[in-house]
Amino acid sequence: MLLSTSPALRASFFALPPSLRRACYATATSPSASHPEIFDLVCVGGGPAGLSLISSLKSQSSTKRLKIALIDAQKLSAPPRTGDGDASGTREFSNRCSSLTPASVKFLKRIGAWENVEQGRVQAYTGMEVWDGVSGAKINFDPMDRGRVAGVVESLGRLVPGSGFGRGAEDEGAGEVATMCENSNLTAALVERVRGLEGVEVLDGTKVEGIELGPEKEKDGMSLDLSLWPVLRLPGNRKIAARLLVGADGANSPVRTFADIPSKGWDYNQHGVVATLQLDQVQDVSAPRKAFQRFLPTGPIALLPLPGNKASLVWSTTTALASHLKSLPPAEFTAAVNAAFRLLTTDISYMLTHSTASQDLDWRESQTDLRALGLPQDFPRVDSVVSGSIASFPLRMRHASTYTGHRIALIGDAAHTIHPLAGQGLNLGLADAESLARHLAIGMEAGMDIGSCWCLDGYGSDRWGKNNAVMGVVDKVGKVFGASAGPVVWARSLGFNAVERLGWVKGGLMRGASG
Amino acid sequence: MSSSLLSPLPLRSLLRLSPSLRAQTFSVLSRPPPNYPGHVPLNLIERGALAVGSALGSITNPYRHDLVAALAEATSSPYFIARLRRAMLASPTGRRILRDKPRITSRSMSLEKLRLLPEGTVGRGYAAWLDREGVTPDTRDPVRYIDDPEEAYVMQRYRETHDFIHAITGLPVIIEGELAIKAFEFANTALPMTGLSLAAIVRLKKAERERFWKVYGPWAMRNGLKSGECMCVYWEEELETDAGVLRERLGIEMPPDLRKTRKREREEKRRAKEGVE
Repeated sequence: MLLSTSPALRASFFALPPSLRRACYATATSPSASHPEIFDLVCVGGGPAGLSLISSLKSQSSTKRLKIALIDAQKLSAPPRTGDGDASGTREFSNRCSSLTPASVKFLKRIGAWENVEQGRVQAYTGMEVWDGVSGAKINFDPMDRGRVAGVVESLGRLVPGSGFGRGAEDEGAGEVATMCENSNLTAALVERVRGLEGVEVLDGTKVEGIELGPEKEKDGMSLDLSLWPVLRLPGNRKIAARLLVGADGANSPVRTFADIPSKGWDYNQHGVVATLQLDQVQDVSAPRKAFQRFLPTGPIALLPLPGNKASLVWSTTTALASHLKSLPPAEFTAAVNAAFRLLTTDISYMLTHSTASQDLDWRESQTDLRALGLPQDFPRVDSVVSGSIASFPLRMRHASTYTGHRIALIGDAAHTIHPLAGQGLNLGLADAESLARHLAIGMEAGMDIGSCWCLDGYGSDRWGKNNAVMGVVDKVGKVFGASAGPVVWARSLGFNAVERLGWVKGGLMRGASG
Repeated sequence: MSSSLLSPLPLRSLLRLSPSLRAQTFSVLSRPPPNYPGHVPLNLIERGALAVGSALGSITNPYRHDLVAALAEATSSPYFIARLRRAMLASPTGRRILRDKPRITSRSMSLEKLRLLPEGTVGRGYAAWLDREGVTPDTRDPVRYIDDPEEAYVMQRYRETHDFIHAITGLPVIIEGELAIKAFEFANTALPMTGLSLAAIVRLKKAERERFWKVYGPWAMRNGLKSGECMCVYWEEELETDAGVLRERLGIEMPPDLRKTRKREREEKRRAKEGVE
């Protein structure tokens, strides 16, 4: 720019004091009618993935000073919190809960969000029992298996000083498998963390009206070239340009549409029915809790523990059955849930199609060999369902072909949608946020442009393969357990029984989940 | 029930059987308690021996109905009797039968009342068939070797309603008639004993065997496969139904009268012999 001016003008410019000289430069980048306000990172979507990305960036020294904007169409206000004097159990639990792996909890602690989570409303569970609805074959993830993970490799690793192999068995952890947390609880904690950060402009209640590439570069030699930058049009004629636009805006991501990234997958023709249930067991606060899942041919049904004697139900089933379940009165729904965990699959499908669930339940239970069908000894009975908590959502699998583009990155549900049978959807999103923040830090330390492919490719190659593997395994497990033909049932029961006896395999799986 | 036969070595534990089979590998010194009166829990080896022994015994002497019953119980677990029970649970009438658990004995089926029913009804035909063949409803052995009480009831019900199939098809109690019924039941209920008992075809005379392959075998297969589950018929409620109406509802054709055919054949042979002389 300076080269195009005359030498005399240049000499007088350099004669100015530094503060006035800086003001001349600054006017070139202040928002004006000619170009929009520039942000280093614009995150569209105020869900857990987007919020944790921002918190993570602000907790790393190399990315702390990025100018960030967070946009969400809804208001990001924390839900009403009970005061210190009230029992935290006065509000009913929401029916949208997620299971956070120990790795996710560690990440949330590191970014300073976990301390804002209402601890009285989260429930860590130390055991998980999964069984086949047709054959009764089961896998019981016991906390004792973690101790047995110190196998040959780790014993040798501990002998060699400085090697990483020996460290795994000594990490902290009460032996929990995962922690149940309401989505609203987690989001509120993250919102509270983000609102306390500097350099973050929170534009909640703001709907993005459009995303385009910036205007063509003008030929006056002074303006910036934003022709390859994403520019967001906001209400009130405001335009912001993003060095890096992060799409954390859910399964139907407008950012992904803007970036022309195709998202491939299929619908499962299933709905996930969720509800909050009241159990008959009176649980002490410190009592160890367990999660249960039974694989039925129509889809898995899971009972996940919540504090006190409550539990969260996630029942993936066919669309027709899901709408029938939602139409049932509460007593019938409770009987249907109890039946779905205990009875023969023939009985369950008969009772759900002939609406005789509560009439037949006692009789069928007395005639069924519950142990042979795999029912765990400590399985609770569902007493009632919290009114108004029965809902359902459609299940599908989608995976974006790539997570990054020029000045675009996708995290969370915008990048991938997964079947809930393994409880991994939210955890994959948090892992995406962690990975992207880490790669942006690497980029910043090397002086890269954070929107360029040199910085973003690392994130894509780190996460795409891992997410694809997890989604693939979950999809195949769902399909294998959806069959009820003899040979398939026999083969999968053989596999289940084999894994059940190999404690080190289970321990390895649990350790993998704990990061 | 843990087994003293299997050692706790890790490799052996991998080779352990699936739970349903593992439950049957108890030692004879630690037999589990019975699940219902008359129940005799058998382990895998004992059940195998019973199956082989009763198969050989019943083919040598087809009138040993107790061996036929033992063969049925030894070969039906774990899959076939469970499949039959599931088929009953899937039908509304079958569920009612399993809930009420009716038993057919000479006390519950009053033959005097049945004989007074109108001609052509199922009950009248049943009483007439019992009188013609000289049998009573009490000749059925109790189920002993099936572990689950409900599956044991299904097997008992199968045994007790076998005579009703005889009654609505008119097939007699001689070997030829029994084999035709067994073939029909094999196609209808898929119990292994019914299929295995068809080995008794070797005991038929040449003419009877030909009749089986040409007439009664095809009839049995055709009707057994296309008709509804005969186990789901609540016979106690169908006693006053017209037999033809019930056959049509179930989809069963009436086979040629076997006694009349045999009588005709005997008379033709006698006339041929007299003619020669």
